[in-house]
Amino acid sequence: MALSEEAILKSELRWAAVVGVIIAIILIAILYAAIAMHVNPPSNREYADPNTLHLSAEFTEANLGTRVDPAGQIVARVIATQFEFVPNCILLPAQRDVTLRFTSPDVIHGILVTGTNVNTMIIPGYISQIHTRFTKTGDLLMPCHEFCGLGHSQMMATVRVVPREQFHPGPDGRAACGDRR
Amino acid sequence: MAEPSYPAGAHDYASATEEKARLEAAMDEAPRGAAVLSLAAVALLLIGWLGLYFLVFLPRGPVG
Amino acid sequence: MATVARRGAAPALQPAVGAVAGLQTRRLVIAHIWVALAAFAFACLLGVWQMWARSPLAAPYHSAANYFRSVTLHGVSMAFVLTTFFIMGFGYYVAETALRRPLPGLRLAWAAFWMGIAGTLLAALSVISGNASVLFTFYPPLTATPWFYIGLVLVVVASWIWCLIMIFSMRWWRADNPGKPVPLAMFATVANAVMWLWTTVGVAAELLFQVIPAAFGWNAMIDVGLSRTLFSWTLHAIVYFWLFPSYIAFYTMFPRAAGGRLYSDTMGRLAFVLFIIYSLPVGMHHLFMDPEHSNGFKFLQMFLTLLVSIPTLLTIFTITASAEIAGRMRGGKGLFGWIGALPWGRPMVLATGLAFLMLFWGGGGGLINMSYGMNAMIHNTSWVTAHFHLIFGGTVVIMYQAICYSIWPSLTGRNFASLRPLLVQLWLWFIGMMVMTLPWHWLGLQGQWRRSAAFDYSNPIIHGWGPWVLVSLAGGIVLAVSALLFVYNLALLHRRGGGAAPATIEYARAVHPPQRVPSSLNGFGLWNIIVALLMLLAYGWPIAQFFFDPPPQALVHRLG
Repeated sequence: MALSEEAILKSELRWAAVVGVIIAIILIAILYAAIAMHVNPPSNREYADPNTLHLSAEFTEANLGTRVDPAGQIVARVIATQFEFVPNCILLPAQRDVTLRFTSPDVIHGILVTGTNVNTMIIPGYISQIHTRFTKTGDLLMPCHEFCGLGHSQMMATVRVVPREQFHPGPDGRAACGDRR
Repeated sequence: MAEPSYPAGAHDYASATEEKARLEAAMDEAPRGAAVLSLAAVALLLIGWLGLYFLVFLPRGPVG
Repeated sequence: MATVARRGAAPALQPAVGAVAGLQTRRLVIAHIWVALAAFAFACLLGVWQMWARSPLAAPYHSAANYFRSVTLHGVSMAFVLTTFFIMGFGYYVAETALRRPLPGLRLAWAAFWMGIAGTLLAALSVISGNASVLFTFYPPLTATPWFYIGLVLVVVASWIWCLIMIFSMRWWRADNPGKPVPLAMFATVANAVMWLWTTVGVAAELLFQVIPAAFGWNAMIDVGLSRTLFSWTLHAIVYFWLFPSYIAFYTMFPRAAGGRLYSDTMGRLAFVLFIIYSLPVGMHHLFMDPEHSNGFKFLQMFLTLLVSIPTLLTIFTITASAEIAGRMRGGKGLFGWIGALPWGRPMVLATGLAFLMLFWGGGGGLINMSYGMNAMIHNTSWVTAHFHLIFGGTVVIMYQAICYSIWPSLTGRNFASLRPLLVQLWLWFIGMMVMTLPWHWLGLQGQWRRSAAFDYSNPIIHGWGPWVLVSLAGGIVLAVSALLFVYNLALLHRRGGGAAPATIEYARAVHPPQRVPSSLNGFGLWNIIVALLMLLAYGWPIAQFFFDPPPQALVHRLG
């Protein structure tokens, strides 16, 4: 069937066409997820000086944790530092759009939330921001997933997702894991 | 299963003429089997990718 | 360079054929590969201990300090020592056996070898002393003792000398053989050398301009985003540097071992050229989850990453077709009868088959990793660890093993008395790798994160992971047994074997051996220009942004 050199090249070209189709299918699925389903990498080029975080308006200790702003937007702010998260538990409602904002005053960290697509690196100098919607309720693990020093393995936080009707922020818009409901 | 000498391939055929004759005969059929096998492999790969995409990734919800 | 120049200036004095794998070069190759093997066996044992430490079982000497020291040693030994020394040694072997003339620059090659040894010792001692537990991927603003990085730089500089010897070997051969195609094995080796020179630019810039000055205390601050971007430049193409010898074996050794021919020499050349082009401008897929780059450049590099799957998928077809030819030549009939007719009792044939199976799983995992937003599902989980252990520990290492088994008779002058221990070793490696990595995929999907020294199995979410971790530990133990058997098989051949072996090997012939090839597929000038343009497109602004709009820098954290 295929002894000539041209025939061999032709078979390779046919195969290349198959490869092209597969690549196109994957590309279309990725584009669909990005455009229609809003799944994108967390690319938020926003600076935060790691050496003066305590002086910043946003990442002072009193402002950390979950807060519903006057416009109704739910934002959780977390500092990842060697070797803990501040706060180490964040309370969020299920089935609501929420925004997570992280930054680091020292070295590289990273987080994932188990069983979800929430995942980002936390790079000193930047604010990592993720918009998401939690569907399951319960305590999810949020470990530091990037090597940050010898205490790395102990660096872990909890994301407590409650049903949306049980999410009752205080009069200042704040909600924390210790709150009585 | 193990063969006594290595590297092999050098003495698989009695002569260069025989090697050539067998090659020509083999090329009458090849690469039909390879095409089917490779196609099956990448089809499985694509099915696996789509499976994770639809069954795990999309249900885990939007992020960005 | 003097040695190289003198040898190159008088090539006519060297016999064109014969004097292959001369004694001096044999010593050079054996020295390199034994350094690689020592690092490999040691790193395998460390790997088992690390998995034990992460399992529900109590491991001896378990502490965070020991764990990260071990992870750093495991990574540095596998990724920098095993690979660099093996690739250099194998490259020297190919240059002499494929071009069929003495290797130029032998003394320079030995100088590079000793430089690499010095660098390896410096880096190893730094890690063992506990002053360099920053893993092999560094993570500034954490910094180790400067001697750790200087040791690694010496290894890289040694590999640059190797690159030059490879490039000039090919050039001088071509000058003496005008119009003739460079043998495919050598063409691919030089492709790897050219790609490696490009690849190391990123990490060299990171180490020389950012990390080493910080480690010495000359700089108190470091731009972390820039350092990660420079490292990502290196981080994908380095894997193809490791992978090249495996592909060289697929194209130029497997078809011969199977008793057939290579389906297409041209496709081999094309695949190697595509690796040079597409393995470089794609490193940002390691930074999908990073904040310092925009989605536009992440998407662009994701697209280019999709294209780097092309040479691998082309290779799968070309090599499967070559296997089919061999199987049919051996009497295989029907659509798949040729598979059973292949000589699976030969290590190179068996290893290629197993390498493809592991490539299927590792490549499939990699497709998920590179899929842009989908990366969030598995980034920094055990899924990624599974992916690169299947690609590196699987496809790369099993082919290194098969290459050693193929060239060892010509290096020692002895044939293996029996191939059975070799086949057992290869099977154990495959089984161990699959048993270790399949649970990791599952654990990764559930969120088991990487680089943790221990897990708290009393946590209800983590508790269910325990049995899977134990299964993967069992796979790791099988791998360690296989690694020791591998080293033993090679060591034994230095002492005794089953009869004399010729001092060279024959590479596979193509169905249509190339008479002439276009100059674009006989050298790398054109491809270097294309790489430069693609790198400018993919990395130009992502690097320049750190200078036009400098982000706040981070305080250096010294460990050493």
